[in-house]
Amino acid sequence: MTSYPNNHKQRTEVLYGAQNVLTKLSKFFLESKIINVCGTDKALLLAFEMQDYKNLLKILKEKNAKIKYLTNITKDNLPLCKKILNHVDEMRHLDGILTNFSVSESEYLATSSLLNMQQPQPINQLICSNVDEIVEQQKSVFESLWNNSASAEQRIKELEDFYNIGRTEIIYNPSITKEILINLIKRSKSEVLLLLPTINAFLREYRIGVLNYLKDAAETRNLNVKILTPTNDEINTIIQKIQSNDLKNFIIYPFEVASQIKINTITIIIVDEKDSLVIEKTDDSKENFEDAIGLSIFSSSKPTVMSYVSIFESLINQINLYEQLKVQGKMQEEFINIASHELRTPIQAIIAYSDLIDNHPDEKGEMIDAIKRNATALQRLAEDILVVTKIESKTLVLHKEKTNLNELIIETIDDYKNNIQQNHNHDIKFKLQYLHANKKSYIVDADYQRILQVISNLLDNAFKFTKDLKENGEIYITIEEKKQETGQQYIIVNIRDNGKGIDSDIMPRLFTKFATKSNKGTGLGLYICKSIIEAHDGKIWAENNKEGKGATFSFSLPFLN
Amino acid sequence: MSSIIKNEKTINHKNKRILIVDDEPDIALAFKIGLEDNGFIVDVFNDAQVALINFRKGKYDLLLLDIKMPKLNGMEFFLKMKEIDDKVKVCFITASETYFYENLIKKIFNLLSTRSLFRKPIKLKELISALNKEFNC
Repeated sequence: MTSYPNNHKQRTEVLYGAQNVLTKLSKFFLESKIINVCGTDKALLLAFEMQDYKNLLKILKEKNAKIKYLTNITKDNLPLCKKILNHVDEMRHLDGILTNFSVSESEYLATSSLLNMQQPQPINQLICSNVDEIVEQQKSVFESLWNNSASAEQRIKELEDFYNIGRTEIIYNPSITKEILINLIKRSKSEVLLLLPTINAFLREYRIGVLNYLKDAAETRNLNVKILTPTNDEINTIIQKIQSNDLKNFIIYPFEVASQIKINTITIIIVDEKDSLVIEKTDDSKENFEDAIGLSIFSSSKPTVMSYVSIFESLINQINLYEQLKVQGKMQEEFINIASHELRTPIQAIIAYSDLIDNHPDEKGEMIDAIKRNATALQRLAEDILVVTKIESKTLVLHKEKTNLNELIIETIDDYKNNIQQNHNHDIKFKLQYLHANKKSYIVDADYQRILQVISNLLDNAFKFTKDLKENGEIYITIEEKKQETGQQYIIVNIRDNGKGIDSDIMPRLFTKFATKSNKGTGLGLYICKSIIEAHDGKIWAENNKEGKGATFSFSLPFLN
Repeated sequence: MSSIIKNEKTINHKNKRILIVDDEPDIALAFKIGLEDNGFIVDVFNDAQVALINFRKGKYDLLLLDIKMPKLNGMEFFLKMKEIDDKVKVCFITASETYFYENLIKKIFNLLSTRSLFRKPIKLKELISALNKEFNC
C-alpha cells in the first residue's frame, strides 16, 4: 500500500509484525526532535508493562526531544498518567480520545491495533508516513486537539479531589443494607472496625456469619479486626469460641454498662478507613437482621469515615481506661487487705502477750521476746508503707556517699544472721555465705542505709523461700564487675538461693507493687528494692536458676573508679 | 480481769478440747496459753495440712481456725475436715478484711450451726467469752 510520492524518499506505508513496528518506533523516537503523541490508556499500559516499550521510554528520556502527550485521564488510569508526567515535557487531557498516533517534525505514525487490545501485547501494525502533506495535516490535527484540551495537572487534582470527597448514600431497603454490609466486609483489604450496640445486635451479626467471616479473614488474609460489643454470658461463650486461636489481629473489646458507653441504637462498620456503613436499629427484639433494622447510611467520604474512625478509637481508649481503673481498684483493695492483715497480725500477738505476761512470771522473758519480735515486724511494715508513699509522691531523699559495697555486704550479712537468730525462737539452720569477701574495694555512690535495706530485703526473700529446706537451705552472695558497651562500669551483686524458685505467673510483675505469692508479706519489698536501685541509676532483675533449683536476684550499680 | 474469765471457765466449760490452726506461731501460742489458763485443753498446729493429717473424729469440741494461711487456708481446711467430723463446733478468726472472704464465709456458714467469725486483733478476754458463748449454744 504505497502512496504516490512527490519525490522518491517520501512515502506512506503500513508495517506489519511486532519486531518491524518496534524497530520503526525506536528509530522514530531516536531521530525526532519534536514528538507529539495522542494516545489512549492502552498505549500508556504498553509503555509501562512491556519490557521492549519500557526501553522506548528510556530512549525518550535520554534523548532531548520535546514531547507533548495528549490523553484521556480517568480515575482508572490516574496512577499511569501520573507516572508518564515524569517522562514528557507537557501533558494535557482530552475527554474521549480513542486514537493512537504520533507526529514529529517530519513523520506521522498511527496504529489501530491498540483499539481492541485486552491484555498488553506488542503493536503489530503501524501506519507510517513522511509525506509532507500528510505530516502537516496531522500536525494541525494534533494542534487543534491540543488547543481544545485541559491541563493534566488540573484534571489529576480534580479526579483526586472527587475520589477523596467520595459519596454518601441513604439506603432504605434492609436487604440492600445487608448486601452492602457483607460486600464491604468481603472487599475489605486491611482493616474492619465494627461497633455493635446491643447483645441482640451481636447475635444477629453472628447468625448472618459476619463474625465468623471476619475471624477467618483475620486468620487467612491478615485482616485487622476490632469489634466493640456489650457482653453477657452467652456472648462471652461465643467470643471464647471464636477467639480460641488467640489471634493478635482479631480483637473483641467487651464493654460494660458501667463504662458509660451509650451508643445503643446504631451499628457502625468502617472498612479500610475508606468506607463506613451506619445501620439504624428500629426493633432490637427481632431475631432476623432485616427485620431489626431501619435505614442505613453508606459513606465513602473521607471526613465522615475518618470521624467514625476517631469515634471508634476514642471508645476503645475509654474501654481500656475503664479496664485499667478496675485493675487499679482491685490492686488497691488487695493492698488494703494485705496491709491490714500484716498490721493486725503483730498487733494481735502484742495484745495477747501483754494480757498474759502478769500471770506467767516464769515465761516472762520469752513473752517479752515475742512482743519485741512483733513490734519489730510492725515497725518494718510501717517503714515499708512510708517508703512506698515517699516513692509514689517522689519525695524519697537519698543520702549518697562513697560506699564500699564489699563492706556493706559483709555488715548486712552479719546483721541479718543476728536478726534471724533473735527473731526466730527456734533454731534456724541454713547456709548464708558471701563468696567474694576479699579485700577488693567496690566503691559506689550510694545511700548506705538504702542499699543495706535492698540487700536485707533480698535476703529476706531468699530466706523465706529456702526456710522449708532447713539445714539444706543455701544462700550465696557474689559480686562482679561488668563493663557496658558505653564504657560505663557496673558492679553486680547476685543473691542466689536453692529454694522453690519464682512462680512463672508472678514473674512478669515481680517488681511491681502488691505482687506476692508467699501469703506472707505485703508485696512491697521488691517494689521498694527496684525503686531504690533505679534511684541509684542501677538495675534490678531476677531469674530462676538454669542449673538446679532456686532463683537468683541481681542488681547493678555504677562503679566509681 | 482474769478473775472474770476464770469464773466463766469454772462455771461452764472446764475440759473442753479446742484445736487452734494458725500459721503464726506467736499468736497460736498466746491463744493456747490464754485458753489453757481458762481450763480448756488446747492443741495447736501452725500448718493446716499437718493439722488435717492429724485430725480425728470426736477428738475436739471446737476448732479455732485462722483463714489466711499458706498451702491450705482455713476455709479449705474446714471443708476437708467436715468430711471427717461434721459435729464439731467451728469458729474462724482472721486479720484480713472480712469482705474479702464474705461470699465464701456465707457459703460455709450455711453448712455450719455457728455464725462465729472473730477479727484480729481480739483481746483474750473477749475471745474466751465468745468461745464460752459458743459452748452455751
